[in-house]
Amino acid sequence: MPIATTRDAPAISHRFHSAAGEHLLVVPFSRIFDIPGHDAVALDADPDALRALATSLGQIAPGEAALDQIVEPEPQSISLNISSSCNLGCTYCYADKGSFGGVQSAPMTWPIAQAATDRLLAVAQRDRPITIGFLGGEPFANRALIHQTVNYASAEGHRRGLDVRFSVTTNGTLLRPADLDLMRGHPFAVTVSLDGAADVNDTQRPMRNGRPGGWALATARVSGLLVDPGQAKLAARATVTRHDMDVSARLRALVDLGFPEAGVAPLRGAPDEAGALREADWTVYLHELIRASRAELARLRRGLPVRLTNFAVALKQIHRGACSPYPCGAGGGYFSVSAGGRWYACHRAIGDPAFEMGSSDGLDTVRRRRFLEDRHVHAQTDCRTCWARYLCSGGCHQEAASRTAESCDFVRGWLEFCLAAYCELGGGQSGGDKR
Amino acid sequence: MTDDTRSKLLPRNVAALRRFQDPAAAPREVTGNPVMTRLESGIGNCFPGLECDLRNLERRFFPFLEIEINFSVAQGIMQVAAVDLPGVEAAAGNGGLPAADAANYRTIAQDLRNGAGWVVSNIAGDFGPFKQQSFNPDDLTGTSFGNQRLPPEPWAAVRTLVEGAPVTLTLVRRPAPGTITLTANRARYLDDTGALARMFQPGELTQSLCSPWTHDFRDCACFYWASNHPDIALPPLPAPPPAAGDPRWELATAWERADRSVATPPVATQTGSQSVPEIAHHAINRDWQLLNFVLERRERISDYAPTRFNAVPLPNQAALLAQLRYAAGVEIAAMQEYLTAAWSLRPAAAQPEPLLGDLTAAFDEMLRIAIGEMRHVRAVNDVLASLSPPGGFTPALAVAAQVPGATIGSIRPVELRAATKAAIDDFIGLEAPSQSVDGLYGRILETLMQSPETTEQQERVQTVRTVMAEGQDHWETFLAIKEWLGRHAEADYLRAPNLQGPPQNNAAHQELQRRYVGLLERLYSGYQQGIPKGAADIAAARGSMLGQGGLQGALDAVAAGPFLVIFDPIADPRFAAIQPPP
Repeated sequence: MPIATTRDAPAISHRFHSAAGEHLLVVPFSRIFDIPGHDAVALDADPDALRALATSLGQIAPGEAALDQIVEPEPQSISLNISSSCNLGCTYCYADKGSFGGVQSAPMTWPIAQAATDRLLAVAQRDRPITIGFLGGEPFANRALIHQTVNYASAEGHRRGLDVRFSVTTNGTLLRPADLDLMRGHPFAVTVSLDGAADVNDTQRPMRNGRPGGWALATARVSGLLVDPGQAKLAARATVTRHDMDVSARLRALVDLGFPEAGVAPLRGAPDEAGALREADWTVYLHELIRASRAELARLRRGLPVRLTNFAVALKQIHRGACSPYPCGAGGGYFSVSAGGRWYACHRAIGDPAFEMGSSDGLDTVRRRRFLEDRHVHAQTDCRTCWARYLCSGGCHQEAASRTAESCDFVRGWLEFCLAAYCELGGGQSGGDKR
Repeated sequence: MTDDTRSKLLPRNVAALRRFQDPAAAPREVTGNPVMTRLESGIGNCFPGLECDLRNLERRFFPFLEIEINFSVAQGIMQVAAVDLPGVEAAAGNGGLPAADAANYRTIAQDLRNGAGWVVSNIAGDFGPFKQQSFNPDDLTGTSFGNQRLPPEPWAAVRTLVEGAPVTLTLVRRPAPGTITLTANRARYLDDTGALARMFQPGELTQSLCSPWTHDFRDCACFYWASNHPDIALPPLPAPPPAAGDPRWELATAWERADRSVATPPVATQTGSQSVPEIAHHAINRDWQLLNFVLERRERISDYAPTRFNAVPLPNQAALLAQLRYAAGVEIAAMQEYLTAAWSLRPAAAQPEPLLGDLTAAFDEMLRIAIGEMRHVRAVNDVLASLSPPGGFTPALAVAAQVPGATIGSIRPVELRAATKAAIDDFIGLEAPSQSVDGLYGRILETLMQSPETTEQQERVQTVRTVMAEGQDHWETFLAIKEWLGRHAEADYLRAPNLQGPPQNNAAHQELQRRYVGLLERLYSGYQQGIPKGAADIAAARGSMLGQGGLQGALDAVAAGPFLVIFDPIADPRFAAIQPPP
């Protein structure tokens, strides 16, 4: 039987430096400490001492949840896949324009949406926000159901004393003034899928009817909300393909439209999938992402807000010490309801039996438990020894199959940059949130 | 890494700050093994046991020598297993060891290499509780009694050697000839930081954990084990069985006695200074299967047939309730008799041994039994409450005027009196039939068992069974009290000859009555309300018994008279005397 060595043992700390000096990330609970330079040299030369120190610093503190436990909370947020169609024909669409490969052929009906909403409001924790999201296809292809569900859930939430919020991811092209009013009038997180400037966007996100001008249509229809968002919070989201990885240009194009922030996501997939990043692309993408973030860092030093969502979220999470064995709430506090009323762990897995968790009548606790056990970061052989495991948590379950050494190096490189940037921003012992 | 780690680490993010919220959990440098490897983190309480074998420390009690203790060798139980020659040379080199001693160590090491042996023929030193002694370890007998007593066996001897005090070993060569005498201070097992001394090899402390857990039988006495592994039990009956009631077979003996013969009655365990020799520690690892099963206090070596319980049920619910109310009264009456008897004993502290020990035990056990009766009062009231319709329960706190007597079916008036030998016999009589069908609870139990099986019915049955089983314990304890007090004259152990109750106007006596009635009233209120509403009253009643401001202080004051403690009849019908049901 092979004998485990310290090399196989889970990393318990990560040493890094920044312009502010030498630092130690204690992997459990994502604690960051500054270390004087001479101590850092000594520690780097003595792995046993470093491990002992990090083990001590990595002990659980009051109010923290053990990292190996599997928590099965009641659902706190759901997404409703209300539309099974879309007027765009994005090449990379995971949902197959809403039909999920034919699994979801008809749009969601009101009884299905109502049952899911009722279930959520009945079981969710009352003292925390409850979120209902709308996905598709293009959700506004089924606009009546959005309006009906929002009005119903708001009234029910008010009656029961609950904090009910909404989210939607839309391509923006089908929005009408009444839709904008609905989003202004409720706490709505609105994510508009736009891949950047008109040329890039319309190449990657063509209209299905073959006509040009998707970008122009979307920006025209969203503009009213950008000017007067009301209670809505807007952000743009861009998919980056290997054909154009200039993150800075994407960001610039989107904030020029008036979006207060925009996030980017690389296209992952099989190596032969058009536009998906290949091994050598990850380094370039990392470089581009960091280049865009450095500009944001400079803005932050001048007291201006960070506009790149990826960077802003990373800094916030590093500051509070985000530390989770799961990359998202899938199967935990979050479920996605198919048009037919089945509950799935994730909106990207509609129709996938491995992700099916039950219905609005109740969850299959055995399946859910197994799902969570299988996807705990400690159960991932690639991840369980990695120092970034509680910050990255293995990444999107749907993309796990496309995880490569290069894509993981990208994640670590990105975190390394964000950790250093965080330390360079100051703060430290005062504990004050200056960001 | 410098030592001053703590002051130089600056927490930067919120998660790092959180680590220091609890000052007790703040990181600090700790020398030695991780805390979970230390003995105080262990769950075992016997060594060899679950975590380590302390004998592995004691193998190195003498500097530079590793000594094995092997009981299978008749002569030379303590044998030198190894010599720390590098240690010897280092000490000799720096002047820490006389040249002659170093030469002796080298001789032993040389002989061991060549197949010869060295054994300890005499050991002299400060053996702690056994004082300064000098003896041949082979001569130890397994027992240890009397003045100038020796340790029972070599492990115990080594264990008591005082750390740092000089020890002289006389070693003889096997085969002869050859004699070496070495003197050195008993080695330290731990260093200044509390970690194991450097002479111990990694894993050494746990190297002998294959010792069977039955070793624990020998080390954990005092009723640690369950009732089928008791300290003492009645001996197994031979076949054919002796005449029923043959007293020689009715005296408890040590369950782990070394003499395993069954034909003749084993030596009875006595509570004096001499005890029955038991199987030695090293032997029980091998012979644990010789220990007999114990059922109903007796070791069993043949088939066991349980006795069947069979009593006449009471005719109806009214009769059941009446019998229960009377039973509560008997418990109160018994409690009064036992408290009076206990407070008639001289305070133990001022007495010489062995009276001191006997009085201490007798008083404490009588008090324990009296407290047991108080708990029975509560138990019976709980049964009564559960049998009563809602709102129909009245607490049973009246005291019985008469209690069961020494012979089955007999009855005697309640009599508050000193713990004379006759009184102790009466107490034994009162408790004796607890387990029998004719006892106070026999018919109650049979009646309850015949009612339909429900959760409540099961609870009632178990409650009564518990009361009966504890009655059995009281009976056995009074037998022991009789043995302890029986070896002294009444005049020696009672506060005064012919103790009498105090005059009615005695202030201490009146205070006792006042506190006692107050206690009963609180109890009545608590029982009446039930749990949880009545909990505060019941807790207050309990509290009012303790301390000099409580019932305890009032009993002390009356007894200091010296007077007999008397509980006057109470006119209040709730607490007045009741007669047995017809």
